[in-house]
Amino acid sequence: MAVNLKRSSGTGASTEQIQRRRMLGWLTGLGLFGSGILSAVSNFVFIKPRATYGQPQRFSIGKPDDFPPGTRATLGARSLCVVREGNKIAALSTTCTHLGCIVGVSDTGFACPCHGSRFDQDGTVTGGPAPRPLPWYKLTLAPNGELEVDKDIEITPGSYLSL
Amino acid sequence: MRIALAIGTFFILLIHGIVFYDQFFHRWERNQTAYFDQARAMAKSDAERAALSDRKPRIEQIVVSNFGETRVDRCTTCHIASDDPRFSTYAEPLKTHPYSIAMGDVQKNGKWERRHKFSEFGCTVCHDGQGRGLEPKYSHGEDEYWPDPLLGHTTQDSWRKDYAPKLKGKEYLEANCAQCHTDPGFAGTATVEKGRKLFFATNCYGCHRIEGLSDGTIGPDLTEVGKKWKLDYLWGRIADPRAILATSIMPKFNLKDDEIKALVIFLKSRKGRNFAETEIQRYKVKLTGGAELVQATIKPVEIKPAEMLKQGEKLILDRACTACHKLGARDGGIAPDLSFEGSIKDEQWISAHFKNPKSTMPDSIMPTFRFTDDEFKAMTAYLVSLKTAPALTNGEATYKALCLRCHGDKGDGNGPIAIHLDPFPRDLTKAGFMNSKSDTRLVNSIRNGVAGTSMPAWGKMLDEEQAKGVLAYIQTAFTKEPRRELKARQIPEKNPIAMSAESVARGEAQFVNRCAGCHGKKADGKGPNSLDIQPKPRNLRNARFVDSVDDRRLFEAILYGVQGTAMPSWIDYGLNNNDVGDLVNFIRAINQKPKGGQNAGTNQ
Amino acid sequence: MSPAANPIPPKPGLLTALKELPKNVWNSIFRNPLPSNDLEKSATSFTNFFLHIHPVKVHKHSLKPTYTLGLGLISFFLFVILILTGILLMFYYVPSTTQAYDRMLDLRGTVAFGMILRNMHRWSAHGMVAVVFLHLARVFFTGAYKKPREFNWVLGVVLFLLTLFMSFTGYLLPWDQLAFWAITVGTAIAGYAPVVGKDIQFLLMGGTSVGQEALLRFYVLHVAVLPAILTLGISIHFWRIRKDGGLSRPPEADATPALEFSAPAATMKVAGPESRKTYGLQGLVRGPITKAGQVPDNTVFSWPDLFRAELFTFVITLSAILILSLLFNAPLEEPVNILHPPNPAKAPWYFLGLQEMVSYSAFWGGIGIPTIFVVLLFITPYIDRAQTGVGKWFAKERLLANTIFLTFVLANIVFVIIGTFFRGPNWAFVMPW
Repeated sequence: MAVNLKRSSGTGASTEQIQRRRMLGWLTGLGLFGSGILSAVSNFVFIKPRATYGQPQRFSIGKPDDFPPGTRATLGARSLCVVREGNKIAALSTTCTHLGCIVGVSDTGFACPCHGSRFDQDGTVTGGPAPRPLPWYKLTLAPNGELEVDKDIEITPGSYLSL
Repeated sequence: MRIALAIGTFFILLIHGIVFYDQFFHRWERNQTAYFDQARAMAKSDAERAALSDRKPRIEQIVVSNFGETRVDRCTTCHIASDDPRFSTYAEPLKTHPYSIAMGDVQKNGKWERRHKFSEFGCTVCHDGQGRGLEPKYSHGEDEYWPDPLLGHTTQDSWRKDYAPKLKGKEYLEANCAQCHTDPGFAGTATVEKGRKLFFATNCYGCHRIEGLSDGTIGPDLTEVGKKWKLDYLWGRIADPRAILATSIMPKFNLKDDEIKALVIFLKSRKGRNFAETEIQRYKVKLTGGAELVQATIKPVEIKPAEMLKQGEKLILDRACTACHKLGARDGGIAPDLSFEGSIKDEQWISAHFKNPKSTMPDSIMPTFRFTDDEFKAMTAYLVSLKTAPALTNGEATYKALCLRCHGDKGDGNGPIAIHLDPFPRDLTKAGFMNSKSDTRLVNSIRNGVAGTSMPAWGKMLDEEQAKGVLAYIQTAFTKEPRRELKARQIPEKNPIAMSAESVARGEAQFVNRCAGCHGKKADGKGPNSLDIQPKPRNLRNARFVDSVDDRRLFEAILYGVQGTAMPSWIDYGLNNNDVGDLVNFIRAINQKPKGGQNAGTNQ
Repeated sequence: MSPAANPIPPKPGLLTALKELPKNVWNSIFRNPLPSNDLEKSATSFTNFFLHIHPVKVHKHSLKPTYTLGLGLISFFLFVILILTGILLMFYYVPSTTQAYDRMLDLRGTVAFGMILRNMHRWSAHGMVAVVFLHLARVFFTGAYKKPREFNWVLGVVLFLLTLFMSFTGYLLPWDQLAFWAITVGTAIAGYAPVVGKDIQFLLMGGTSVGQEALLRFYVLHVAVLPAILTLGISIHFWRIRKDGGLSRPPEADATPALEFSAPAATMKVAGPESRKTYGLQGLVRGPITKAGQVPDNTVFSWPDLFRAELFTFVITLSAILILSLLFNAPLEEPVNILHPPNPAKAPWYFLGLQEMVSYSAFWGGIGIPTIFVVLLFITPYIDRAQTGVGKWFAKERLLANTIFLTFVLANIVFVIIGTFFRGPNWAFVMPW
């Protein structure tokens, strides 16, 4: 039984052959590594849904006439509050920025029933643990004449859509 | 091996690359980018431009839970401009969905407003198709496995090529309109209404049941037919029933393409439950079996004795008898001529036939209609009054006027309506049969008919001489072979074996042993071998027929066979007069009327 | 690594520690560099968690591709692919009669890489059934089930049956017409078993017909119960290979003339401090270790020969599955329609041989012959105890056994082919063209 402790790969291989072998080894490794990276990325892309299973994030809420001036209407299922002042209209989130409860409309603005956060009519925090004001969502007038809210896009609080 | 490994791993890397690349370049992304570009160019204000600036291609979807099961419609991912009026002149997929007053859209200040908002209705509730797909092949339902391709737009490759073009058109969408707009008078569903009327006018209602409309029991229940079948199948089943199911007894009705189309659209609208129905409405219909609704469509008529004939005539026409039968100029081309019914049938027969067609002809395909007794009386009275015979100048003219409809212009029994008759009309070209029967017997068949079959007794219309004339014409024109001398056969005139339980039992044993293969275990002519035999084996439970033939004829048929048919000569297989006597007793016994009861349709 | 005596290394500064962080992290994971001498080669097998199931050295005969055809390994890799793709597919699948089909549509339409993953899972599953069967046939034809490998053969037969069951339970999950009726037919075949048949059928379906309960049961079996059992079984199967002395081989493979080992004798004597470390032959050679150097050495180090061969097999398997998945889409037929069975309704292809036989005789085709076959498979190593013909394909000494087995295999293949291609509506014989 032969035990070879010399640091060389195999017997009788010329340096050229060794070089070639090493090169091929690297190529194989690179191929496998590259495939591995690509499949890892694809797996990540795979498990991130491209279309959600709930209601879509961008949706129509009706015509501007449905919200006469002075309206503060909450759309419960969409957790949204539509505010219209004169010809200016905006859509505020009613999801508390603290831990995600749904805030209720109060005289002074909004109040969260879970941990007592309070917001004024523009959604600015006036009390409680909420760290940020209520988000304002992008509101546009779609070509078909209906208002469209995109909950994926937040805009600066206070920027209304002029009709 | 090292090289192979290196190549192999790079190959895998390559495939990964292809798959990866493939996932990030979609047709819908190009559509959306094109839409954003066009819309930006059209934008009139900064606000509009700003509204577009944040839009990135992504999968758009409408989730609709108002109508039946929740639908996820991602159609607007490609058809992203469908609700943008500025794109009305563009080509699909970037085209505005047309506005239409018929659909309830209104124009206000030059701007259209939709009656059916896409965000509430989605797309597939009207158009069908597969809302979840993102490739046209799948989303439009071109994939042969998808049950609802876009109505009136997409046809699948597996559909018959000659039907496919006829299955396109906006009218087909009415089938889905009718899911909510169930009012028959609704303007938007005119074709559905036309189909509904045809359903009654062509007598579909006689055989088929649709909950709340009709209660036929012969054919399949069509209450949910629109949910189960695609357009091509519906069309095919109406246009050529036997092409899809060779054993179908559904007749091929004489319908024009636009009539078939209306029927198809009507049937496609039958999806069981309408969106417009409430649970309580359905429950009420269930409680009454839908009888009220059926009567709302087929209204019973009150018969006044004085106007009986007239009312009978009207009923015969209204209730669509001529969808199958011939009556004067009207001809359904499926069932016998009723134009001179009074001369060949009596009132009793017609009345019995009306109430239960199988009581007079056990194998008739005519459905049993549930009309009132008075209505039947009026219709019978009208038919009895029809006695005008056509001109019967000579044998040939008589054959053409009376016999051709069943026996065919070539005399081979393949007349226009023959496939709907059971037993099949006799093939008159088969010399084997024709020359094994005496002239007397044949003339007898013409004048007295064959009981229990569609062959009527022509005796009231044809005297002895005329009948002989017809027979002579048949023999020269069809049978052709000259008559031969009849073989002398030893046949007992009367059954020598007395009727007794033992004899019947012996006969039954013989029957099961020798006859059941063709005539069936129940002697109804539907044995396992009967499928391949033409003419079909005789139904020996046809009491009217069996009662009409004497022992001698039964003995002759069994002992010496029936030439020109599959019935062999059993004397060659060792049956003697005693065995046949037992068999005849058995056949007679199963056709005896049960005491006190009626010998109604015995098969099935 | 350096053996230089350095009892108290200087305390490294924070900067050095940060600078050497990547290297140290790497070295803490991979303690050894790529091996270049025999000692390091032997170390690969027991310093790497994933490789330590391998022996240090492996017999040359075991590496002959014409002997094993790599079938066992391919089965294992297919199993790995199935586990990985299966777990991913579970992220989107819902075992509900109302949602399962919709989720299939989503996998095909919207989910990124959904289609290719489903294709890979489907084709690997079909492939695994076929390859496991071929593996079984290979082992039989080479007589590899003989002593001491009897139990591993029995275990292998169990694994084969489990693979079939695994594939069968997965067949229902898409909840389309193909799935629904194949399972209806398949469970009905199980119902023909004497005495317990109806109970098995009821137990499998959780009711009297295939419905929501059946779907849930099949799902649980498919994603939890069977994979766990199969993983355990495969582990034991592998462990037994080493305990049974590696792969089977003919006696000639070890009986090389003594002349051979005079040449490399020069390198025999081991010098250096490492010599105290023994690397046992780990079951490769039976008997006392002192045999080393006394018998001809027909083994090679697992690194790199065995590992390279394994990697090669893996690459081939994965390429094949990827190509199949790119070219052919997994079938998805109409949504389930309980009222309209397709004509003919066929079981999954690997049960079509059974279905074909059931069409001749319900009892013999569905239960009798398969039971006889499986029982024969189980008891074969305990009946056929002659030690001849091991390690050779179709050895002459084993003509009878091979013929019997081949008859069963060919008959099954013929029946599967007839059932798949030659059976049309009403199970009538049709020509596939």
